[in-house]
Amino acid sequence: MKSTSIAFLVLLARAACWGADSTASLFQQGVEAYRAGDYVRASTDFHKAAARRPASGTLQNFGNAQWQQGETGRAILAWEQALWLDPFNRSARGNLRFARRTAQLDAPDLAWYEVVSSWLPVNSWAWIAGLSFWLAIAMTMLPSIFRWRKAAWQQAGAALGLAIFLLSVPAHLGVDCRSRIGFVLQKETSLRLTPTDEAQVITRLPSGEPGRFERMRGRFVLIRTGRSLGWVQQDEFGLTCPNN
Amino acid sequence: MSLMLSQPRIDVESPVVPEVSFDPPVVRPGQESIYRVAFNALDESIAWPDKIPAPPALSVQPGGHAQMLSLGGPTPVFLPRTGFNYHVRASGTGQFTIPAFTVNVYGKAVTVPAAQLLVETTPTNGPALPQQLGLEVAQANLFVGQAVWVTVTCPGFPAPLLQGTTPVQLMGSGFIIDQSAFRQRHEARPRFLTGGQGVVLVFETFLTPIASGKLTVFAQGFIGARPPGPLIITGPSFSSAAQPQYTLLDSDPLNLTVRPLPAEGRLPGFTGAVGAYGIDSPEISTNQGRVGEPLKLTVRVRGEGDLARLVAPPPPKTREWQILPATPDNMPPQFIQLQGFTTLQFTLIPLSDHVRGTPPIPFSSFNPDRAAYEDLTIPSVPVTVQSGSIPADLQVLLHANAADADEEKEPVLSGLAATPGLVAGSLVPLQRQIWYPLVQLAPGAAFLALWGWDRRRRFPQEHSDILLRKRARRALRREWRALQKAARTGDSARFASASVSAMRVACAPHFPAEPRALVGSDVLALLPETERSGRTGQVVRRFFTAADDSRFAPAPSQSLQILELKPELEQVLHELEARL
Repeated sequence: MKSTSIAFLVLLARAACWGADSTASLFQQGVEAYRAGDYVRASTDFHKAAARRPASGTLQNFGNAQWQQGETGRAILAWEQALWLDPFNRSARGNLRFARRTAQLDAPDLAWYEVVSSWLPVNSWAWIAGLSFWLAIAMTMLPSIFRWRKAAWQQAGAALGLAIFLLSVPAHLGVDCRSRIGFVLQKETSLRLTPTDEAQVITRLPSGEPGRFERMRGRFVLIRTGRSLGWVQQDEFGLTCPNN
Repeated sequence: MSLMLSQPRIDVESPVVPEVSFDPPVVRPGQESIYRVAFNALDESIAWPDKIPAPPALSVQPGGHAQMLSLGGPTPVFLPRTGFNYHVRASGTGQFTIPAFTVNVYGKAVTVPAAQLLVETTPTNGPALPQQLGLEVAQANLFVGQAVWVTVTCPGFPAPLLQGTTPVQLMGSGFIIDQSAFRQRHEARPRFLTGGQGVVLVFETFLTPIASGKLTVFAQGFIGARPPGPLIITGPSFSSAAQPQYTLLDSDPLNLTVRPLPAEGRLPGFTGAVGAYGIDSPEISTNQGRVGEPLKLTVRVRGEGDLARLVAPPPPKTREWQILPATPDNMPPQFIQLQGFTTLQFTLIPLSDHVRGTPPIPFSSFNPDRAAYEDLTIPSVPVTVQSGSIPADLQVLLHANAADADEEKEPVLSGLAATPGLVAGSLVPLQRQIWYPLVQLAPGAAFLALWGWDRRRRFPQEHSDILLRKRARRALRREWRALQKAARTGDSARFASASVSAMRVACAPHFPAEPRALVGSDVLALLPETERSGRTGQVVRRFFTAADDSRFAPAPSQSLQILELKPELEQVLHELEARL
């Protein structure tokens, strides 16, 4: 029984290592293809690597490969996703500025709590909120449970934890709202009045135009852009957080 | 408007006569012949079919398609001419006919007559080649933005005539042609079939690819030849006899492979200059200046490339200089290309007397031969600036410059990330994943367990009477078992002692007191008044007396009567237990 468990754990560890090696190999292949000017191959490799293990650098490189192929919308989406995971990625931020300046596109308008949420990696807010909340609870409960002598540092710790937790609440709201931001992927995408193929076209959106996901109906998505509200086909709009 | 009205009209009223021919009409198997159709009509008026009715044995590839206007007629009018070329090959011998077919021209049906191509292994009149333009390019593997000379040759006409200001067109997509750089010359070249030298007309221009990938380009143009014989004009009129016969010629398509410029290694000041460039030492109008006085900085850029289209680098922003964008070279493009250099002239205005030289102006180009960017930064030139009063308008510039200098740099596409960077399990944030609330429940459960444990621990301390009663019940049961054991063995002394102990422990929590400190009256005090003075009281007293007797008497009596009181004792103990 014991040997079976150990064998199972070894197998699990090897599977995890193989997955990491495979992703690293794909990343390296993508880099080599990009340097050789084979941007289609580089895109495929970076896309596969990002699908297996989303990483800021992989998404940045995927955006570069897409940009080299003239896929402005997909490049901007990839760089936004790179920043979504790691807002300290200066290259991805610079690429977004470069792309938007080149393609004459606007960045999404962010509310103050969305700006706050973009200061740190998206997953860090969850850890901060969890740790600060339980720190406040621990600092409040543990002295009394273990009959420690009341001390100022315990109260300061509880206050600090509670304050951090309360301050992270707007960031959580911002993360939730930002996860609904997406980008038009195709050039001259039709923004329709109704979710039908025969619908009246309100306007044509350029590739890379930002929009906010409102709801879905069939294979159409209702989005709100800076100027209008309308429906686009699902495959013409990519969300920063794709599982919305 | 008057200029427009003074122009000759376009002849759209003459009957439309299509001309059809194979050039040459007799070829060997696999040799190319050109099927030409020409109309004396405007291109827009011809509803030309997408596919011509060629026999399946003929391989047909579309070629040139163009329109021209030539001045002619008794009263000067523009005569339209539209041509369609197809490159035709037959792998086998025989006579192939493209049958007559109907085309709508000016809304009327016009029949294009049939044309025949004879394919023979050995043509009777010897080998013949079609009238074609030649297309040559200096290099077929290019980078985006790399200008390359394209040469179009027009052989076979003893006296070729050109139509329009741009005699030939280069057709295709993904590139631009510098019309201003067109140059032409006559050249003697060997004739391919007949031998000897023949005069050909050579056109040269720059082609600049603007898209990467595989590009296809071909040349086309109307080339005319004046009919032989003397031309005598006796009055102020046009002679139709002098009109040359224009034929649409085209070239075989040429494939170009175009690579994008690499993002890596891009240097500051790159404005799209692709070619082998170099700069001469910059020259400044004067090395002695005053604050606010403009200086001219001139620099020559030499090299192989489209010098006429070279874009000067943007002027850098500094606190101490106001630099105006460079003025382009005013020379015609052809002269710039001939002289082999272009001149960039910057105007610099010193805003401070602290400067000791002009600021370096970042500039770079991409060298396609080395496939690398090259630094062409215009170096600093020493100057001495004396103090002076800065005009009010320059004061404004000074402040603007100070602000601009702090602006962030022009963004450029970054290189690749060397490592995957910060990794996440998913793009979906943690708080949206199902396991996150479950993980948050773990410390919650731990704290709840701690709280429960603490509460349980504190309960006896906060409710000592319950604890005493609980202990008393436990002790009562223990003594009860002892007295029963004594009763079974007939040990009356031990029975009495255990009975008293049982009554004491059952009564102790009510006072509260140490059980051993209680006496019979304390037990009786807990019994109702009626029982206290009745039989129950007597039983309690007997037991206490017997216990005292067995403990303190010099010779304890072994009375077995006390054992007979067991049922009454148990009744008392039950009553006391019920009160706990």
